Amino acid sequence: MIADPVFIGILGALGVFLLIFLGMPIAFAMMFVGFVGISVLSSVDAALPVTASTMWETVSFYPYTVIPLFVIMGSFAGSSGMTTELYASFEKWTRRVPGGLAVATIGACGAFAAVSGSSVATAATMGTVALPEMERFKYDPRLSTGSIAAGGTLGFLIPPSIGFVVYGMLTEQSIGKLLISGVFPGILLMFAYAFVVVMWVKLQPGAAPMIAEPVSWKEKIRAVNGVKEPLFLFLFVIGGIYAGLFTPDEAAAVGATTLLLVAFLKRKLTWPALFKAMTESLRISAMVLMLVAGANVFSYFMALSTIPVQAANWVTSLQVSPYVIVAMILFIYLVLGCFLDAISMMVLTLPVVFPIILALHFDPLWFGVIAVLMMEAGLITPPMGLNLFTVAGVAKGISLETIIKGATPFLAAIIVVAFLLTVFPEIALYLPRMMKG
Amino acid sequence: MFGKFRNIVQKTTRALSYVGMAFIFPMMLLTSTDAAGRDIFSRPVRGAFEMSSLMLSIFILLGLAYAQQMKDHVRVTILIDRLPVRLSCTISIITTLLSMFIVAAMSWQGVVVAIESSSVTDMLRISQFPFRLLVTLGGILLFLEFLFDLVDEARRFVE
Repeated sequence: MIADPVFIGILGALGVFLLIFLGMPIAFAMMFVGFVGISVLSSVDAALPVTASTMWETVSFYPYTVIPLFVIMGSFAGSSGMTTELYASFEKWTRRVPGGLAVATIGACGAFAAVSGSSVATAATMGTVALPEMERFKYDPRLSTGSIAAGGTLGFLIPPSIGFVVYGMLTEQSIGKLLISGVFPGILLMFAYAFVVVMWVKLQPGAAPMIAEPVSWKEKIRAVNGVKEPLFLFLFVIGGIYAGLFTPDEAAAVGATTLLLVAFLKRKLTWPALFKAMTESLRISAMVLMLVAGANVFSYFMALSTIPVQAANWVTSLQVSPYVIVAMILFIYLVLGCFLDAISMMVLTLPVVFPIILALHFDPLWFGVIAVLMMEAGLITPPMGLNLFTVAGVAKGISLETIIKGATPFLAAIIVVAFLLTVFPEIALYLPRMMKG
Repeated sequence: MFGKFRNIVQKTTRALSYVGMAFIFPMMLLTSTDAAGRDIFSRPVRGAFEMSSLMLSIFILLGLAYAQQMKDHVRVTILIDRLPVRLSCTISIITTLLSMFIVAAMSWQGVVVAIESSSVTDMLRISQFPFRLLVTLGGILLFLEFLFDLVDEARRFVE
């Protein structure tokens, strides 16, 4: 061996970041650097087959079927007309609350997140329903677009969530438990977002004019009907995982099949909708699994370089509180989130960050929730917040700058929830602890 | 000539991705039937697990190139969007060549690894060989998509 493996590893890590910022697709940048790194630390003959065998092992790994299945389940939910009903129901209940329409948007996003695993889909589908309403009642565009961008992030935390699936795969944690651990933090975040809206309107009453027309109790009770479908599905799918009735893969398959039948019976199932759902599922899954394959080659290189072990040893030898280190990691995530999307961030950092978390004796499930929460922040931080662009695509005539300004106050909610979860980890861990197995 | 070639290849990529896409339904129904069969009648579907794995491999590998055609593989363009055209083109050409290199290595090794491994699935004894070859097929199509991107960048450079 010519050079110190740690030195080669550090060079490799820098190389990946350089290539990514030069615009190379992240999956291929990781696979390329991983390949070069293994060639240097071991040999080219050892590195070559790793590319193909890792690719094969990733795409034929049964637990990953959950990704296309969760995505298609969300698409079916979107095309079954669920969002309109959800929004109308929530609006009936929140009309007397300051910023009622925005609060209803957050609530409906949270409810839709319970059947959809993608935050972009949540923001896009809710945006088309909620934005025209808020515009009609002269809401400040910052408040209306901000609440959709933020509400959309709930899709990432409230199960089903692709974020937890990828985290679970990369860290070998139970995906079922991770999904369940997102339930309470997701609800908490939803309330925190709603609180931001209420405070905003209290401080700036002009941002959201009150709607005068009252809602009778009869109407309110009838409105509960609009929630029953997603609620039933959530209890069935996520409840089934919780009760040990299904694995996450089976839950996703059963959920998708049920929704397909519902859409079919309601006559909402059109060929274009079906085709769109399939395409979406394929494109997202191919993108995610290519990232995971690239990341696995890169992790192999990282393991050869011994960096993860050395970093964990070094961090535990430091004379500082483990919480300071977690806070630093979270800060790095917040910064990275400005430039990278959530899944890329996970696959890039976890090979090194996760061993550190384990060495510091933090609960891996708890960290999963915290990490996912930080990646949600990344969805609404400029310049590369995916949800900001999604909302900009839906909200015609509203500048990206307005949306960015609108989404920023909601970051505070994410940080407060992260803090609460650190002080009271039970919020995340209570439910998974009650699970069998 | 090149335009025609590109047209044919991209159509093939799309057609194959539709084939892959269709596998989502058997995957969905098979897994549901398996779960329901086991939970309700204590009779799971034999080999459902490994059939799903193989279907996932078809689904993803046939979709890889299509995802590139639709520019779904995430990249960060914040820097190169702000550089002068010539410089950003040069950088893009280099990074695309690197992507092509690694995809070519993967496609070539796809055959090598497939031939070396004679593995069959545990229960149904299905040979993995043809499915493993899809790493090569998907890789070649992906390589060609990158080649088309390379040509586009080169043209942008000349203009």
